[in-house]
Amino acid sequence: MRLQGRSTLTCYGIILPTMVMLLTFVYLPVVWAFSKSFYAFEIGGASRFVGLGNYSEYLLEDPTFFPSLANMLLLTLFAVVVRLTVPLIVAKLIHSLPRERWRYVYRLVFLVPIVVPGVAVQLIWAGLIYSDSGLVNEFLRWLDLSHWTHGWLSDPRTALVCVAMVGFPFVGAFEVLIYYAGLSAIPQSVHEAAAIEGATGMRKFLQVDVPLVLSQLKLIAILTVIGSVQGFQSLIILTRGGPGFKTTVPGLWMYYNAFSFQRMGYACSIGVLLFLLILTLTILNLKYFKSSETVQGI
Amino acid sequence: MTLRRVFKHGSLAAVVATGVWLLWPAHSQLASAPASGSPAGQAGQAYVLKFSPGQSYYPDSHPFGLGKALSGLATVVRAFEARFPDTKVEIISTPGVREYLVTQLAGGQAPDIINVNVEDVWTDVHKGWYVPLDGFLEAPNPFVVEKGDPNLPGAKQWWDMFRYQAISRGKAAPDGKNYCLTFDMVETGIYYNKDILAELHLTVPKTWDELLVTLGKIRASGRTPLVMHMGAYHDWLMDLMFDQLYFDLLPGIDLVQDPSREPYLQGYLDWDELAFLHTKGFFNRDDPRYVQIWQRMRELRNYTNQDLVSTDTMREFITQRAAMIWHTTAFSYRLSGDKDLGFRWGVFYLPPFTKKTSPHASGRPMCVIGGAATQFEVTNRAVSDTDPSLAMPERIRRSQRLKRVIALLQFMCLPEQNAKIVNEYPAFVPNIVGVDALPVLRPFEKILDRRYTTTKWVFTFDLRFSEIQQRMLGLYLTDGIDLAGFLDWQERNLTAACANLRRRKALDLGRLERAWQAKASARAGMIDLPPRVRKESVP
Repeated sequence: MRLQGRSTLTCYGIILPTMVMLLTFVYLPVVWAFSKSFYAFEIGGASRFVGLGNYSEYLLEDPTFFPSLANMLLLTLFAVVVRLTVPLIVAKLIHSLPRERWRYVYRLVFLVPIVVPGVAVQLIWAGLIYSDSGLVNEFLRWLDLSHWTHGWLSDPRTALVCVAMVGFPFVGAFEVLIYYAGLSAIPQSVHEAAAIEGATGMRKFLQVDVPLVLSQLKLIAILTVIGSVQGFQSLIILTRGGPGFKTTVPGLWMYYNAFSFQRMGYACSIGVLLFLLILTLTILNLKYFKSSETVQGI
Repeated sequence: MTLRRVFKHGSLAAVVATGVWLLWPAHSQLASAPASGSPAGQAGQAYVLKFSPGQSYYPDSHPFGLGKALSGLATVVRAFEARFPDTKVEIISTPGVREYLVTQLAGGQAPDIINVNVEDVWTDVHKGWYVPLDGFLEAPNPFVVEKGDPNLPGAKQWWDMFRYQAISRGKAAPDGKNYCLTFDMVETGIYYNKDILAELHLTVPKTWDELLVTLGKIRASGRTPLVMHMGAYHDWLMDLMFDQLYFDLLPGIDLVQDPSREPYLQGYLDWDELAFLHTKGFFNRDDPRYVQIWQRMRELRNYTNQDLVSTDTMREFITQRAAMIWHTTAFSYRLSGDKDLGFRWGVFYLPPFTKKTSPHASGRPMCVIGGAATQFEVTNRAVSDTDPSLAMPERIRRSQRLKRVIALLQFMCLPEQNAKIVNEYPAFVPNIVGVDALPVLRPFEKILDRRYTTTKWVFTFDLRFSEIQQRMLGLYLTDGIDLAGFLDWQERNLTAACANLRRRKALDLGRLERAWQAKASARAGMIDLPPRVRKESVP
């Protein structure tokens, strides 16, 4: 009994540093952000309690609220759709290859780009593809379609679409690997039963494979929603949210308010609202998006 | 069993030890902690000063990828260190973004000397992040004094060493104090391809209308007439056009004459004046001059590069796809240093509006919008050897570290040292008496002799105002929004900025109102004032 107690203590001791750091650098800032969202304050300046003033200002008065929310929803929807489809198709194609050697080669080929930092990818798109003398415009000039060339990221009609298209053809290595693992976990007996029932090709993919990787789809959906609602890294590199507010999202506006305009309390209130939005979307996802275990009745 | 226990406890000890090691402050942090009182570098060095000069003079850099690596600043700093063996100056590069600087200043960790636009500093001066330099500037420069000639500039006041007094002293913050050392000067100009203009039988335009005609002819030849970036519209052109259209109103709307700055900045409209004038109906859709600024800007847009964000404007001009480029003095080096340029070039300043351009045109030459280029500010780190609870004047009085920081700036202002830095390559016009501008920059000296701008819109209000104005102006100029929509944004933006200003700065509107009433007669004969002002004028 005494030994067990000491062992337990040892285990707690091992996780203690992690917990301390987690509390200090993750949970404490979150609590701090919640409390500061009720204050008007700037870095180095005085703090003044304003109650729900920051929230009401953002939701009711800030002219960026509706356009940025719409941008965020569109980008999130687009990201969810492409990440639930394209990588799954690619994973299925790899998984369908007859020889393990080629399956390995393709997995490797799709995995290698994961080591390239996201910032570098964004800079390549901004500098080499969309710029005035970038790949797209030069290609159009080569086709003698100079009148079609323009500033893809500075034109309000094309900026949001161009931002969404960064990462084309959307074969994310992480998603491919997750789906590939899900497809590999489908028992051989299921494939055999499907073959006996006459399910092949697209029908088998839609009616057998997809339902059995629902857990993976659910995971990717949740991660994509979280990433899209929170993320603004690509936007700050590509367009800084412009032209105008055509590609601004709430996360980016939060960043500007916090570090450029020094409106920390206001930025905290935007952060809290984003947290609540992510929480709601995640709960809805967990509740209404079936997992493969549910489908299988496990 | 014993082995398992050893492993368990060993693992635990390793985790704890690693955690402690990771969290332990680095030696340098311990050495420079404010509590220690005297930051130490190597043996015998009592002061380790951090100096962020910006990119223009950064040692070993190659501006525009041309010429030899820069060494001027490093040479001067080494000479300073030789004079003060107890001091080491670390020249460091810091990100040029405000986000970085604000967090560093809040933590007292910013470099002792930084180089940022002082208008950005003004926003934060009440937080004690910066050291006012007035006391030092009004005292003699000790390095000049030791030369023994009492008639040398700087022997009586350090101020006297600066050539462009109006601009240098005009950098005083609205609280009346000067936080900025104006090290050199920058101005903008239109660089043009002489060969293209000659080929098209065009000459340098003398008026704004001529400029538009010239640009139209260049466009007809298949070239981009003028390349410029978005900031040139948002910042430079805004101030130039505002000055052209509002200059004649100044006798009736310049409400405050700041005794310390007015001799140098005649008629300058500060943020309190702009905020007050806004309450009187200026700077909205009912103000015809204000509307015309944006209309004239949109007209010019027809002749400039399509993409205002990502166009490589320099490349367009160098490759002769564009006939003109609006750029700063620094671009002179890019052109003069390029042996394979392949065309002749010149510089002219923007020509003035005429009555044909606008009925409100003053007809005066375009004003100066450039001015101070390298602007050195001394941060709270320079007084980190004093008790932070003390008031700034007392910290300034007690700090030994600050004395050394100021000495470095004073040393860099000696003509013989200053020339090594500023004239190492032609980027900026020297601001020290006795240091001549390099020949290629002389056209800009004449521009800098003009009257300074009426106001600097971008730096007048908070950063949120500037951000929104730039974004929505960009949208308007790219046809993403019409003039009415843009003015709607701009009005809301300015109203919010003025409200923020009143809240943060506690403006004395009563004083401005009295000044406004006192100038009623001056406004009596003025035409096209906003409707509210006209109503007030009716007896």
